[in-house]
Amino acid sequence: MKKYFSRRYLCIPYCIFLIFFVVLPVIVIFYYAVTNGEGEFTLNNLSAFFSSGYAIGTLLYSIAIAFTVTVVCLLLAYPVAYILAKGGIRKNNVLLLLFITPMWINFTLRITALKEVLTAIEGNIAYYPFINTIIGMTYDFLPFMILPLYTTITKIDNTFSEAAQDLGADSVKVFFRITLPLSVPGIISGVMMVFLPAMTNYVILDMLYNSTFIMGSLIGSYFSAYDWHNGSMISIILLFIILAANFVTDRFADGNAGKGRAIL
Amino acid sequence: MYRFITFLKWFPVAVIACLLAGCASSDGDEVILRVCNWEEFIDEGNWDDDEAIDIDGHEVIMGEEPMYKEFEDWYYEKYNVKVKVYYSCFGTNEDMYNQLTIGDKFDLVCPSEYMMMKLKNEGKLEEFSDEFFDVYDENNYYARGLSPYIKNVFEENKVGGEPWSRYFAGYMWGTTGIVFNTAKVKAEDARHWDILRDRDYYRTVTVKNDVRDSYFAALAILKADMLRSEKFISSPDYSERLAEEMNDTDEKVVDRVGDILQDIKDNSYSFETDSGKADMAAGKVDVSYQWSGDASYIMEVAGENSVNLNYIVPDECGNLWFDGWVMLKDGIDGDAAKKHAAQAFINYISRPDNVVRNMYYIGYTSVISGGDDDTVFDYMDWHYGTDETEDTIDYDLTYFFAEDGSDKNYTVRAKKGSEYGSLGAQYPDLNTIKRCAVMDNFDEEAYERINRMWINVRCINIKDIF
Repeated sequence: MKKYFSRRYLCIPYCIFLIFFVVLPVIVIFYYAVTNGEGEFTLNNLSAFFSSGYAIGTLLYSIAIAFTVTVVCLLLAYPVAYILAKGGIRKNNVLLLLFITPMWINFTLRITALKEVLTAIEGNIAYYPFINTIIGMTYDFLPFMILPLYTTITKIDNTFSEAAQDLGADSVKVFFRITLPLSVPGIISGVMMVFLPAMTNYVILDMLYNSTFIMGSLIGSYFSAYDWHNGSMISIILLFIILAANFVTDRFADGNAGKGRAIL
Repeated sequence: MYRFITFLKWFPVAVIACLLAGCASSDGDEVILRVCNWEEFIDEGNWDDDEAIDIDGHEVIMGEEPMYKEFEDWYYEKYNVKVKVYYSCFGTNEDMYNQLTIGDKFDLVCPSEYMMMKLKNEGKLEEFSDEFFDVYDENNYYARGLSPYIKNVFEENKVGGEPWSRYFAGYMWGTTGIVFNTAKVKAEDARHWDILRDRDYYRTVTVKNDVRDSYFAALAILKADMLRSEKFISSPDYSERLAEEMNDTDEKVVDRVGDILQDIKDNSYSFETDSGKADMAAGKVDVSYQWSGDASYIMEVAGENSVNLNYIVPDECGNLWFDGWVMLKDGIDGDAAKKHAAQAFINYISRPDNVVRNMYYIGYTSVISGGDDDTVFDYMDWHYGTDETEDTIDYDLTYFFAEDGSDKNYTVRAKKGSEYGSLGAQYPDLNTIKRCAVMDNFDEEAYERINRMWINVRCINIKDIF
């Protein structure tokens, strides 16, 4: 009886899911990216992107937004995660829950509420597009930064810091020489989880106001103009940018990044 | 255990097989009708009792079930044939077109007039049968009730050399214009499309995030001087020339429109698809570029918050638009029973009491005037009319309601100012209608040019960064 059972069978549902909803769409996108309206092979879509000052400008602007959001998220999330993990607060799971719970409320609702709050503070939110974009995205993506950081920091063995203290390091030095370097995998997975959505998630912008164009909006506007080819090409270009970023950070993290990322 | 694993192995296959079978099943004597309509564009029923519309001399009108469900019963009663309606929705014309491209099949869809032209030019539309236009058949509510004004538009306008009416049965119609807060905006300013880039209203203007709508407004700004000139307006072929000017897609014109749209973008609160309604009603913005049906809805909501809004079609011109039903060749596929059911569906929702239900529910204006049945007019009179004698206006809508050759007068006595309120938005008067033009479907080359311009306007130019 045992001979028929293999744990590999348990992968079947996921594999089917993967093939239908991940692999096939990517193939379709790739096909559209390198063809034109007549179905002929072409690289015009690629050159069209890189020769357009508007497309490149939007790309740079998106990167600037994504970079700022990621940095702000990191600066906000690290102390929180650190205190949760190391602060010796009892029932820290409950606290963590408090930070994560807002994520369970539908995000369109949260953004609508945020719009009202920002309007109350600023008067007319259209005057401050960049700041509002940063606030909106930070608000939405912060939990994605806290969780991996928290998990990584809790797993750091306390004996390392104790040893450092025994050897005469003060708490600042312990943090910078021991805790921070050991939490790099968490930082990297947090960064990866925030950076890409921040470049493309235009729904948040649409809901705050519509006039700031980022990469996601650009792709969307091609699709709604029946131009699947240019839209697909931009998606592929984004994919490669992310892959490249992933590759670089993996090297940087000395192959440890995978562990932290595995939790989410 | 083994049995469980076998089950796991075959379960997905079984699910897919069931799904496929489900899609394909169509009983021999039951007609399947696949209808795809705009979101929230038909009465979904479930009204509260106090919403019932009780007009003197008419039966009480009340929405209990979704109208497409009630159609199934009505059809069985009238024709003794079972029909099953699969009802689904789309968000924009372009989404609907994309759905068709990837192979979704529908029998009856409700595009705007330009999308209808595109579908017709691609040979995708099924022609209505002659019996659909037979006014002696008492079940032909569409042919019997269509407003003579709309009927004329549908005969005069051609697609591929044939009148629209052969392929396109009107549903809702309206204009585009400016909704503005009367406390903060001078009515004189709202008479010009130029208000969209007027620095006096810096960051308090919303504009439609739609290539055609924004192009139209910017084009009107570009040509404002000519469009407003006495000479142009009084020319004998004014309507034709207006339509020609507002369908200008010349390369140089597109470039200049792009510059204007850039100004508009820099001046506006947002380019919006839906949020403008709420922003306007809540008083976040003071000026909003809207379709007449939404305008009428916003004004009623804002009225409840005691914010006074008006709607004006600017003096230069307005865009006259129609949403209507077309049958798709791919879906109907030569099936006479299906075609009959599709045409009956249009007739059923064109029955005057159903027209009132839909208008009440969605806030837009039906193309149906009712023919010899006055329900639609009486509903409007019931809704907008007043018994007061002071501060009233006589709002003449004979052009829309009176049958050809009839000398009956259709005038509503309404409160003064309602010509700039919901009444005016729902039923524009003849003067407003005269300065409205239909915007054709752009040909492929022009569409590509205009769309590139529109994407560039919303992008960030690298030159502005450095």
